[in-house]
Amino acid sequence: MQTYLYSLLNSPSFSSASAPPQPPPLLRRSLSSPPAAETLAAGAADAAAVMASSNVSTVYISVIDDVISKVREDFITYGVGDAVLNELQALWEMKMLHCGAISGNIDRTKAAAPSAGGTTGTTPPVHDLNVPYEATSEEYATPTADMLFPPTPLQTPIQTPLPGTDTGMYNIPTGPSDYAPSPISDIRNGMAINGADPKAGRPSPYMPPPSPWMSQRPLGVDVNVAYVEGREDPDRGVQPQPLTQDFLMMSSGKRKRDEYPGQLPSGSFVPQQDGSADQIVEFVVSKENANQLWSSIINKLETPTKTITPVIPQCDGIQDDYNDQFFFQGVPTEDYNTPGESAEYRAPTPAVGTPKPRNDAGDDDDDDDEPPLNEDDDDDDELDDLEQGEDEPNTQHLVLAQFDKVTRTKNRWKCTLKDGIMHLNGRDVLFNKATGEFDF
Amino acid sequence: MATFELYRRSTIGMCLTETLDEMVSSGTLSPELAIQVLVQFDKSMTDALENQVKSKVNIKGHLHTYRFCDNVWTFILTDASFKNEETTEQVGKVKIVACDSKLLGQ
Repeated sequence: MQTYLYSLLNSPSFSSASAPPQPPPLLRRSLSSPPAAETLAAGAADAAAVMASSNVSTVYISVIDDVISKVREDFITYGVGDAVLNELQALWEMKMLHCGAISGNIDRTKAAAPSAGGTTGTTPPVHDLNVPYEATSEEYATPTADMLFPPTPLQTPIQTPLPGTDTGMYNIPTGPSDYAPSPISDIRNGMAINGADPKAGRPSPYMPPPSPWMSQRPLGVDVNVAYVEGREDPDRGVQPQPLTQDFLMMSSGKRKRDEYPGQLPSGSFVPQQDGSADQIVEFVVSKENANQLWSSIINKLETPTKTITPVIPQCDGIQDDYNDQFFFQGVPTEDYNTPGESAEYRAPTPAVGTPKPRNDAGDDDDDDDEPPLNEDDDDDDELDDLEQGEDEPNTQHLVLAQFDKVTRTKNRWKCTLKDGIMHLNGRDVLFNKATGEFDF
Repeated sequence: MATFELYRRSTIGMCLTETLDEMVSSGTLSPELAIQVLVQFDKSMTDALENQVKSKVNIKGHLHTYRFCDNVWTFILTDASFKNEETTEQVGKVKIVACDSKLLGQ
């Protein structure tokens, strides 16, 4: 407890990007681990008390502890030290404190109990036999190179043991260099096993064969809605986990023809993120695509809270090339307003204020770049207004839950939800069950 | 066990994602490991909601929009009230996103 508070006090220093690696958290971890194992029996009794109170902050802290304790093995398997894991926990908690999701004085005694209990329930504190046991000795070791030097960028799963500096994992007393590969290959095996192991979060039975369309580059082709959706249909049956995307950010059902080809750099690849089958990539994480996958996860999650579309493309039928002046070449343009203003970007012969509506219509038919006028003025105007009304993260009220049943009679809707997180009026509220009655 | 990515959009999930993103960007953490952490978060959050939370909520409101797509219900309510044992929250507009609970049993 004391050590934890100490690390909290120090936590602001973490904000300066790569502060010297953190001895206090590691000390805390190494000090607290053995007692945690001893108080496992007491944990079960305390868990009941926590359930009764079900404070949001308490639940969040227990989730943090649970995640951290359960990914520890993965971190060790990947050869990433405890310091990194502690940095992750400290940063995560700091952010939670900042946005007020957890209270300032974290009552760790309560939170530690259920997390310890949960840990014993699913993952026994026995070490994975596939992993060389030396790996865990890191936990109790005196400061290692891992702590004394900042982690190297883009750490490879297996750290190359530097002779003389590494006192933890690869300290083999006999020291002939041909001895060293043995633990490394063990780790490799461990990784391979973990990779195929459902416990590691990769339910391989659900993995459909990589769809050919995923690697295709849809750009440049006029995306035909029916065609694409038809292709996705076979995947739907296999898809066990629905996507949790911001469905309002995309058009409902009907895809608008607003993929303006001119706005994307040629050859750029837009990943398919339409909520149907994008998730399958989750389980084919490999070293090559992990980076790409990660950035797609980040983009997917961050777009709802951030203000996207800094530029709204001007598409009113007049000078639709306004946003990218260099895309437009050669065709004489009509210019209703100020003849001299933009003419120099355009036609070699400036059009001097002579409207040419005929010409414009003809162009429209020829190059299919331009969406027809008013094509989509009926579908989600109202929704757009509603969506864009207040898009700040703090004011966006959101409920994330699972549904048991949704029914409707006439315009009366009833639904039963469970296991929800609500963010209302800037505050988080959790529920186990919820019933909703709405009139449409 | 199947999990939902649903809860990643909650406060705690966003905080974790931001943290991981920062650490991946700075090179402290590999993207693969970051994804593993997120997957573990999906499980832990679901477990915690199931086992540690006991409160019940009543929701009422005007249903502005409903959508059922890929087994996900999305409701947009206006003038909604959320009532639980302790308080009542009133909001002008709220979005509810709900995954099918039956899918978790698979």
